[in-house]
Amino acid sequence: MNPFPVDLLLLSLATPLAAALIIAFGVPRKLAMVVAGIGFSVPALVAIYLVGAFAGAPRYHDTGYAFFTSYDMGLASWGIKLTLGLNGISLGLFALAGIVGLAAGFYALQSGAERLKYYLLLLLVMQGGLMGVFASIDIFFFYFFHEFALIATFIMVGVWGGRDRNYAAMMMTIYLTLGAMLSLAGLIAIHIKSGAGTFDLIALRETVAAQPLSALVQKNTFGILMFGFGVLVSLFPLHSWAPLGYGAAPSSAAMLHAGVLKKFGLYGLIQIALPLIPAGAAHWSHILAILALGNVIVIGFVTIAQSDLKQMIGYSSVMHMGYAFLGIAAMSTLGAGGVVLLMIGHGLSVALLFLLATSIHHRTQTFDMTEMGGLAKHAPVLAALFVAATFASIGLPGFANFWGELAIFVALWGFSKWMTIAAVLGIIISAVYGLRAAARVFFGPRTAAFAKVAAERPPVDLRWSERAPALVLLLALFLIGLWPKLVTDPLNAQLTAQPVTAAANANVTTTAPAQAATAAATAQTNSTPAATPPVK
Amino acid sequence: MSLTPTTLALVTLLLPLASAVLIALFMRRAGMLAQIVSVAACVVYAAAALILAFGGHRAAAVNASLDWLSIGGFTLSLGIKFDDLAALMLAIVAVVGLCVHVFSIGYMRDDKARARYFGGLSIFMFSMTGIVLADNLFMMFIFWELVGFSSWLLINHYREKQSAADASKKAFIVNRIGDFGFLLGIIACYHVFGTTSLTAIATQVDAGAFVVACIPLALFCGAVGKSAQVPLQVWLPDAMEGPTPVSALIHAATMVAAGIYMLCRIEPLFAAAPAVALNVVMWIGVITALYAALCAITQSDIKKVLAYSTLSQLGYMVAAFGLGRIVEGKFLIVAGVGAAMFHLTTHAFFKALLFLGSGSVITGCHHEQDIFKMGGLRKKMPLTFVTFSIGVLAIIGMPFLSGFFSKDAILYLAMVKNMPAFVLLTLTAVLTAFYMVRMWKITFLGESRSEESSHAHESGASMLLPLIVLAVLSAGCVYMRPLIMPFLEVFLNVPAAHGADHIIILALSIAVMLIGATAALFLYKPVATDSLREKIPGVFTILTHLRETPDRVYNYYTGKIQQRFALFLNVLDRFFIGGLVVRGLAGLTGFLGLGARALHVGSMHAYVYWFLLGAVLVWAFASGFLH
Repeated sequence: MNPFPVDLLLLSLATPLAAALIIAFGVPRKLAMVVAGIGFSVPALVAIYLVGAFAGAPRYHDTGYAFFTSYDMGLASWGIKLTLGLNGISLGLFALAGIVGLAAGFYALQSGAERLKYYLLLLLVMQGGLMGVFASIDIFFFYFFHEFALIATFIMVGVWGGRDRNYAAMMMTIYLTLGAMLSLAGLIAIHIKSGAGTFDLIALRETVAAQPLSALVQKNTFGILMFGFGVLVSLFPLHSWAPLGYGAAPSSAAMLHAGVLKKFGLYGLIQIALPLIPAGAAHWSHILAILALGNVIVIGFVTIAQSDLKQMIGYSSVMHMGYAFLGIAAMSTLGAGGVVLLMIGHGLSVALLFLLATSIHHRTQTFDMTEMGGLAKHAPVLAALFVAATFASIGLPGFANFWGELAIFVALWGFSKWMTIAAVLGIIISAVYGLRAAARVFFGPRTAAFAKVAAERPPVDLRWSERAPALVLLLALFLIGLWPKLVTDPLNAQLTAQPVTAAANANVTTTAPAQAATAAATAQTNSTPAATPPVK
Repeated sequence: MSLTPTTLALVTLLLPLASAVLIALFMRRAGMLAQIVSVAACVVYAAAALILAFGGHRAAAVNASLDWLSIGGFTLSLGIKFDDLAALMLAIVAVVGLCVHVFSIGYMRDDKARARYFGGLSIFMFSMTGIVLADNLFMMFIFWELVGFSSWLLINHYREKQSAADASKKAFIVNRIGDFGFLLGIIACYHVFGTTSLTAIATQVDAGAFVVACIPLALFCGAVGKSAQVPLQVWLPDAMEGPTPVSALIHAATMVAAGIYMLCRIEPLFAAAPAVALNVVMWIGVITALYAALCAITQSDIKKVLAYSTLSQLGYMVAAFGLGRIVEGKFLIVAGVGAAMFHLTTHAFFKALLFLGSGSVITGCHHEQDIFKMGGLRKKMPLTFVTFSIGVLAIIGMPFLSGFFSKDAILYLAMVKNMPAFVLLTLTAVLTAFYMVRMWKITFLGESRSEESSHAHESGASMLLPLIVLAVLSAGCVYMRPLIMPFLEVFLNVPAAHGADHIIILALSIAVMLIGATAALFLYKPVATDSLREKIPGVFTILTHLRETPDRVYNYYTGKIQQRFALFLNVLDRFFIGGLVVRGLAGLTGFLGLGARALHVGSMHAYVYWFLLGAVLVWAFASGFLH
């Protein structure tokens, strides 16, 4: 079916890595920029093509995976192969990686960063790793590609970072390395305990379906994965690296990390942990939900207290991850679907916000919002884009994020009414910090500090080289906001064919009677609305 | 494509959206062009909406449904429910919307950001139409949020003013507090009924489904925010920072009335729930009506008087809705819906008229808004004066003007159902006559009291024409049978007094109007100072405090409580959580001896090299090189 002579998934991850390699061999700056441009464009084009081709593509057996290929990389004796493919869950995230990578890459090309070649090189490594994460069916490579991208991030923060970059890079390294180690331990535990003798997710699923892991193993493994992935996704109270790291990170690295790489943990929980160890997930879901509420409420308020624009965006991103964890804790098809939608919406909007924050910095020479004000007069397009990104991130309908939040709230009600009430409080909190930031930066009269800066260097509106990557992100936000089926049709097919929670509910009802009510509520969520008789 | 009713409905929904998108993409700097596109779109919109509303097409003829999102068993659809209630609301939005668009041509003539303004109007028309047509609560919520956004955009129009930036932010945030309850109510509805379709819920409720009081009350929170009821009323007076036509359209006639419209849409839920739900609604309405009327008395800004008056009238509608159903003759009528929607209709016309009239006054006086600096405008702006006077007479309940009938319907309903509410609403009516006549007299009578008002001039045709149209509708919409017949489903539910009751209500409302108006005529002189402050300073001070207290509480909460709590959590987060974990981890890694030193000295290169070395070793081992 593939009309191209190459494996497109392999192409999408190999092109940026090859481009990085070419730049590493020392080509002139101009040529390096062209090579990097190709490296950033190819994955995005492949991703868009594959989104279009997905519906008609043949599936690999009954697994739901399309574009399946497998390569022996010399590790077959350990059960490790480079197995690539996309299913309904990974498709949207793969596209997200491609699009955010394109925007981050082209923003970097015009950034004029010092030692630009090396900056681009590392960004390309990150990009290659990201495409690999979401294209991998083999969970060893899934992890490996993540590490690849992560190390590039550390170096970028440490070398090109802003204020406090050494401390920030160190903090990120300590936290994220520990998180990654825990995750690896959890993945290896699944590999060993399942007895499948392979890291191939499809085989693992089949093995576990025939012979589920024991309740104890599931409980322990999910605990390890939850905290491991939790650190990587900034689960409260393991989030301290995130605002600090993003505050210091150069814009393109922050865009790619907050926008895409951070989703690794959530994706791992949905694609790997929920289907393979559902009873473990059910065991931990209450603790996970309570910690996630910490993200929404506590970090929500902390976000209100920020006066540094970049830190504010960083904290807001931590807060929104709380919704995502709540969607996972809800243990339902709708919840899992909501998480995927939110990951995509959040990835696009937070990347856009980091991009625009840097563009704002170029005009105000500061990230301190108390020293801005009235920028809309000088840069109306920048203001309009920032306002759009802010409203997207606080869940205004019409943008992708809204669907994710809504689906998660609806699903969460089936899990716990009180938690839903607490979680929905987040829509007020996010409106407070989002609109306050927009008002402080762009509206009202200019502050004295900004008037001085503006007098020395009159701010200009967004240049086209900055505008184009921003518009790519905004367009994607609108597209999914107006036509969510683009994401949810394949997603729904996958989640319905292989429900993330069917096994969990069965296990929960047999092992923990106290939680039977939860399962019943979840089942209600899953039933067709029209067919459901009125309860009570 | 033929003009089927469904097509017409889609035109009303999508045409304003198309206009907004065109303006946003291509006409940012072309104010004139944006204005033409937006007004033209609104003309076509109004034509389609009126054909739809008056053409007798209803639910059977107008239907379109589209699955927008479906995951698992959850499906969110877009659909149209076009009954008499929706048709009436659509007609109101179309008429007032068109008047405001035309008025804006004159009012915004010299504005540099006209394109943004007209784009905002278009996006508002789109969002509002969505609320009106929505056939399920999720869809209504989506458009509910979008009108909130349009409102934010338009209040923030003069965005270089700090007050405008603050007011728009406050409006959106306070509305979100209401939406918090609204969204939870919708989610609860979905889980209880398995659907949020308005028709399906009504069917289930009629079949005897039990409804707990908190579901309709949670949904009511949405109305408390959008219709600015106590305690979320704080945003509406501030919203007057927006351009005056926006205040007329969004903050008087349509968007703020959407809360009442939404309540009428979910009336079956209230009817099935315990009586406490409707009682809460009624008392919130009564308190808002009375409180806002008291606040209006000491206002000196012409737009803010009107804003408080809007609050008060919205309270009237909410109270009417809360009074619920009654048996009239042999029939059970949904009197709450009838009375509330009737008053919503007449109020939309006379309040839009008053706001646009004030807009005419404000441009006439070169952007002076303080009524004590006006005076003598009767001669300088005769047509504005006449139309404005009709608006004032309509709102104070001058017999045989439309406002008189709708107010009477509410008072009668209150008299039948709840005596304390009746007394308070009557008192509110006295106050309404009082503060409206006060404003009218100070603004238009006497002599000019400032440089600006002495140079006042009558406005141009584009501003006067909408005033005349609205004045005619305010005065006589109840007499025009063709305007009423298509919406019988709604108007048949308007309670009407008969016999002795009829005479009592008639006499009472005339007395009420006369007392209020006469008191104001005698107390106030068209001079530069507030007569109440000089004659009865004690009352003036109390009323001023009453008006300012909610804002003080709001400011105290945001500045002192919320901000300090946030800063406190910030400190905890940074120094306790951040410090604790990182020190704990550093200690742990040190204990385990896993390259802790490399981590501490800040050399990341070491880490990278170790990683690469490890990766190579693993690879080599697995590939068999090391065997």
